Amino acid sequence: MGLLDVFKGKFVDPTYPGVHAGGDIITTRLDAVVKWGRKSSIWPMPFGTACCAIEFMAVSFSHYDIARFGAEVLRFSPRQADLMFVAGTIVDKQGPILKTIYDQMPEPKWVVSMGVCASSGGFYRSYHTMQGIDEIIPVDVYVPGCPPAPEALLSAIMKIQERIQKGEQAKVPQGAHRLGAPGDGAIDRRARRHFWEKDDAERARQGLTPRGRLELKVLAQDDDATGHHG
Amino acid sequence: MANATETTTPPADVASPTVRVLREALGDQLLRFAEFRGDLVVTVSRKAWVQAATLLRDHPELDYKLFLDLCGVDYLDKDDHVDRYEVVLHAYSVSKKHHVRLKVGVSENDPTLGTLTAVYKGANWFEREAWDLYGIVFKGHPNLDRILTHDDFVGHPMRKDYPTAQRHVLKQAKQWLLKVPEGTENMIVNIGPSHPAMHGAFRVQARMDGETIVDAEAEIGYMHRNFEKMAEERTYWQIIPYTDRLNYCSAFMNGHGWALAVEKLLGISAPPRAEAIRVILSEFSRIMDHFICIGANVVDLGAITPFFVLFRAREVIYDLLEACCGARLTVSYVRIGGLAQDVPEDFDALCRKAIESVKDVTAQAERLLTRNIIFANRFRDVGVMSADDALSWGWVGPCLRGSGVAYDIRKDHPYSGYEQYDFDVPVGTLGDCYDRYLVRMEEIRQSLRIIEQVLAKLPAGAVIVDDKKVALPPKSEVYSNIEALMNHFKLIYDGILPPAGEVYGYTEGANGELGYYVVSDGRKFPWRVKVRPPCFNIYQAFPEMIKGGMLADAVAIIGGLNVIAGELDR
Repeated sequence: MGLLDVFKGKFVDPTYPGVHAGGDIITTRLDAVVKWGRKSSIWPMPFGTACCAIEFMAVSFSHYDIARFGAEVLRFSPRQADLMFVAGTIVDKQGPILKTIYDQMPEPKWVVSMGVCASSGGFYRSYHTMQGIDEIIPVDVYVPGCPPAPEALLSAIMKIQERIQKGEQAKVPQGAHRLGAPGDGAIDRRARRHFWEKDDAERARQGLTPRGRLELKVLAQDDDATGHHG
Repeated sequence: MANATETTTPPADVASPTVRVLREALGDQLLRFAEFRGDLVVTVSRKAWVQAATLLRDHPELDYKLFLDLCGVDYLDKDDHVDRYEVVLHAYSVSKKHHVRLKVGVSENDPTLGTLTAVYKGANWFEREAWDLYGIVFKGHPNLDRILTHDDFVGHPMRKDYPTAQRHVLKQAKQWLLKVPEGTENMIVNIGPSHPAMHGAFRVQARMDGETIVDAEAEIGYMHRNFEKMAEERTYWQIIPYTDRLNYCSAFMNGHGWALAVEKLLGISAPPRAEAIRVILSEFSRIMDHFICIGANVVDLGAITPFFVLFRAREVIYDLLEACCGARLTVSYVRIGGLAQDVPEDFDALCRKAIESVKDVTAQAERLLTRNIIFANRFRDVGVMSADDALSWGWVGPCLRGSGVAYDIRKDHPYSGYEQYDFDVPVGTLGDCYDRYLVRMEEIRQSLRIIEQVLAKLPAGAVIVDDKKVALPPKSEVYSNIEALMNHFKLIYDGILPPAGEVYGYTEGANGELGYYVVSDGRKFPWRVKVRPPCFNIYQAFPEMIKGGMLADAVAIIGGLNVIAGELDR
């Protein structure tokens, strides 16, 4: 398919209002043509750190063939890219680097957060893992999965293309409130467990039962003393 | 825990030469020794720590030349431990084929210990890690700095009283790892952590004199997502998905190793059919891992075609894994005591298809690479590592075998029935990048040999042990039978309850010895899980290897080491 074929009406509906002389002349807004060009020639930068990066390779290679969406020119320099795939867990040590790389991309730019780690920290809720990259950079499309299926990532590229065509672009980080997530008490199960163990021991020494135990009334006829789990 | 191991203490005249030699040399500084599930554990006093480690390495009867692992353990509020912390060293003797675990108690008030950096080169980063995570100070260490967590981090996160989710924000990344000395015109080149040649997330800085690297320093921790801390709050099977994400290029093998370690702790073994399927999928995973390593390595050198070619077979293997368990990459297919479910009916056909595909793409890639003069010139005599140095750094797997040491756990300590299969262990002669490449290529062929042998006599039967304390009952039973329902509930609610004790389970991962040091206190959560990551030792040697070479050689070397960030930083 050559470009001429598109304009000659082979792929353009000649009944469309902007199409004249059977496709020889198309009237449209410059803006729309620029966006059409942008969305069909995305230059992605893979910011791959972990497992998702391996799955990203699968998408970009021949089997799933990212080139069908005009997005096969992978650039490892942010200055030449307009779409960043954040593929993999971002930890606090990596945070400032991700921010720097994002800032180095020229406008307009889009970000896909690939996988649950990049989107929300995934199942790593811990002392060194960022709970989603939207703490520090804006994200346009979140892709769930651990890692996402290649089809899901292709769907994300199509979503980005839609956003480019509509002129939508995320501008601010959306999860900044999560920065330096709280750890005091709220989610520290271990400290709580230690406290309970000590408390139980203390009460046992005083001849008391542990706190929170419900004393069930034993009915006279009930001879099943082992309980129903036994 | 210590109690359980002490109850199994053999009589004083134990046959082990390790105990005899240590006792003769150290006298009453040898505090305890024990054997649990075949692991020899020796506890020495703090004074004798360095002396004992030196003896282990140098004594001709012991010959523990291969450094495996060093880690801290926190026994907060454990009455059976006098000292709060413990430092644990694992070492192996390639000539005598035996392991040892050397332990020393470190008190809370004075958490200091002599450094082993003079004994084993590889101890350097491990001691930094123990300082970073537990706050144990190693006196005499050349560079006791944070390694996994970032510079603005406060506290030592693996301590039991550190809240799991307590984060600290890093505002500014560390800019320079090296300094330019006064009076020179040297230049610092920074590579990574976001750089196409740094697969994943690690960083190296090189001080250049013209085109030559004078000095180099590596930094890691860009993928430290706290597997070990999370594992202390998960039941034994909940940890399986986390292990998949250690070396994600060959996810199945990590789960396989974890299951074997826990099975060793429990004293059970999986049924023959499960073991055979585990072997098949592990070998396919090894092939996949080697594909990524070789492919990515040559991409760095400017040849992208071989990677495209090799990846085609990966897709076929993905199809096989997807048919077995529904996931392509992170499979979570093993269970403690077997497998999640039986393989599909067309398993054999899928395997044969994958074998054909692997043979096809390997032959194509070999035609493109092995005798390609450009490729060979970039690889030959580059990144040479001698066998002695490799052992001291703690290298394992294809990298160690590339240096000429024929240590392969599948041969030396067979597990999962590897003793039934006929295969060779390829070794290199020089220890350069080209040798490591050739070893990997040959291992792909040997793995295919193993798979074909297993397929030829795949046993029938169950794929998980029939033990209601370990394996969930089949779903059909759960829905129709009250006893199965109760067992299901009990197991989900209480988890697997192993005996108190500690084991070191080890398997031959794609990158080498993948070990799990598991400490259990009899509850449903492990007290401590330490992964012995092959990459950690291998990448540690990288800055030393590139000194004196060209920057372009550093790129050729790093790809051939196959450093996987998920495993490196855990």
